[in-house]
Amino acid sequence: MKLMEIEEILEAEVLTGEYDPEIEIEIGCSSDLMSEVLAYGEPCSILLTGLTNIQVINTANVADIKLVCFVMGKIPDEKIINLAKKNDITVFITKLTTFESCGRLYKNGLKSCSYFDLDK
Amino acid sequence: MDNNKTTTKIQELTYELKIDDVMCKNIETVSSKMPISQLRDVLYKKRISGVPVVNDDKLVGIVSIEDFIKCMEQEEMDALVEDKMTKNIKTLYADEPLVHAVKKFEKYGFGRFPVLSRKDKKLVGIITKSDIIKGILKKLESVYHDEEERRYRASHIFNDIVADEVFLKFQYFVEGKNFDKAGEASTGLKKTLYRLGLSPDIIRRAAISTYEAEINIVAYTDGGEIIAYIDPHQIKIIIIDKGPGIPDVEKALQPGFSTAPGWVRELGFGAGMGLPNIKKFTDKMTLRSTVEKGTHLEIIIKLSDYRNED
Amino acid sequence: MNLKDIVKMLDLKVVSGDIDREVSAGYSSDLLSDVIANAQKDNIWITLQIHVNIVAVANLQELAGIILVNGRQPEQITLKKAEQENIPILLTELPTFEIVGKLYEMGIHGNSIN
Ligand SMILES: Nc1ncnc2c1ncn2[C@@H]1O[C@H](COP(=O)(O)OP(=O)(O)O)[C@@H](O)[C@H]1O
Ligand SMILES: [Mg+2]
Repeated sequence: MKLMEIEEILEAEVLTGEYDPEIEIEIGCSSDLMSEVLAYGEPCSILLTGLTNIQVINTANVADIKLVCFVMGKIPDEKIINLAKKNDITVFITKLTTFESCGRLYKNGLKSCSYFDLDK
Repeated sequence: MDNNKTTTKIQELTYELKIDDVMCKNIETVSSKMPISQLRDVLYKKRISGVPVVNDDKLVGIVSIEDFIKCMEQEEMDALVEDKMTKNIKTLYADEPLVHAVKKFEKYGFGRFPVLSRKDKKLVGIITKSDIIKGILKKLESVYHDEEERRYRASHIFNDIVADEVFLKFQYFVEGKNFDKAGEASTGLKKTLYRLGLSPDIIRRAAISTYEAEINIVAYTDGGEIIAYIDPHQIKIIIIDKGPGIPDVEKALQPGFSTAPGWVRELGFGAGMGLPNIKKFTDKMTLRSTVEKGTHLEIIIKLSDYRNED
Repeated sequence: MNLKDIVKMLDLKVVSGDIDREVSAGYSSDLLSDVIANAQKDNIWITLQIHVNIVAVANLQELAGIILVNGRQPEQITLKKAEQENIPILLTELPTFEIVGKLYEMGIHGNSIN
């Protein structure tokens, strides 16, 4: 799924300026616990979260997540946006809830991360 | 294509940088009248494999661990350094461009060169291959701030400049209780590993593990440090702090165990998954801790395929 | 939709509570304060928190039930409390994103935010 499609589905606002329209978002993940996000065996390409602090961006960075979407209209402060820009992470915000966002993306064909392939 | 560009930039830098910019200035020396038997302490304590011999500020030779071992085998421990040292040594001047050092390393295959000041011929430093690599990496960092898009890789440093094995060491300091800065060390390390051309999977595993450990330093201690050693076979990362320590290490390693205070949980950590995550993503993990003294975590990630040639 | 049907269709493991009740919509969050502020009556709550406080929150908000994701098991005391308070706790091996996706496909949507 391309970023533009996700932007539309989530009625999102882009906070990090222009993005690469070719980036492919393949796997979705949602959590408010960063250790859980880090535990996924493979990189997820989008993280949906209700948490808005700088560690969300650091988590995305170390776990190779390309797109972070803050839900429920929460607006992250400038430091967070700047760090994301510096690390080539795109940031969206949406007014939708986590539930509604995940649901819409899944219904539109975005695959889920899986927790248990870690141990393989 | 990208790699070519990188190589060119690195070559440029070897002309631009001076030996003085990258060499180690804080050097250990010995005098020529020192008995070989005392050399052991100098070499082992400082973890160096060779040391310049200096009399009255003048460099007269270099003595190495090989010289020491030879004396040991031949039971000549009472001999003086001046009898066993290499006298006819190759040196470099501090104001020479780095490329001269690169060429000399290639030509002679030595592990290090003493560096002299051109003016008074005094010993001012010592340069090793890993100093060169570190110097270039550091410079690359300041030259390109957003070079990630350029996707250039510094992996070619290993091919182009260095023939022998190289050990790189990177050190980061972590402030305790400062959540704004938490993550700087691990994301910094990640960037460095990326520049070294390691594979994305290895980088991700190292970065995630280091990040969890860094978060623990910030959450539970007053600060600590992270030291990464990279050689052609593995990445070893040591994460240490000065307390309060973990009373029951077994328990701390169990998934779900956490003593995280509320402020840590509100920031998205503290579900007791940090140490288990580190274990999952590394090939070896050793956690030692003494209450009130501190915690020492060592992790190893093996590099089956050192360089990532694309 | 009735929670019974959801349990059946998504193959959830019921560990506490009476599942014969209506679900209005879904809410997904791992932050208790967020759930207290934003979840609504009869929501089904998706979380990976297993702490006993989840029961208190579900009770307070009159939620229809709690789904614990990623194969997480509730703490013993959580389970006990859930039985006492008749709060359904349901378990799944799936992660949040996927279980929410499946619920959504069954017609359960998120609360609308104004
Ligand atoms: N460096 C450390 N110093 C003191 N205690 C630590 C340290 N690292 C971990 N711990 C202890 O081990 C527990 C488990 O750590 P971890 O698995 O990272 O989970 P979490 O940080 O989510 O609690 C922590 O709650 C804490 O009590
Ligand atoms: Mg932790």
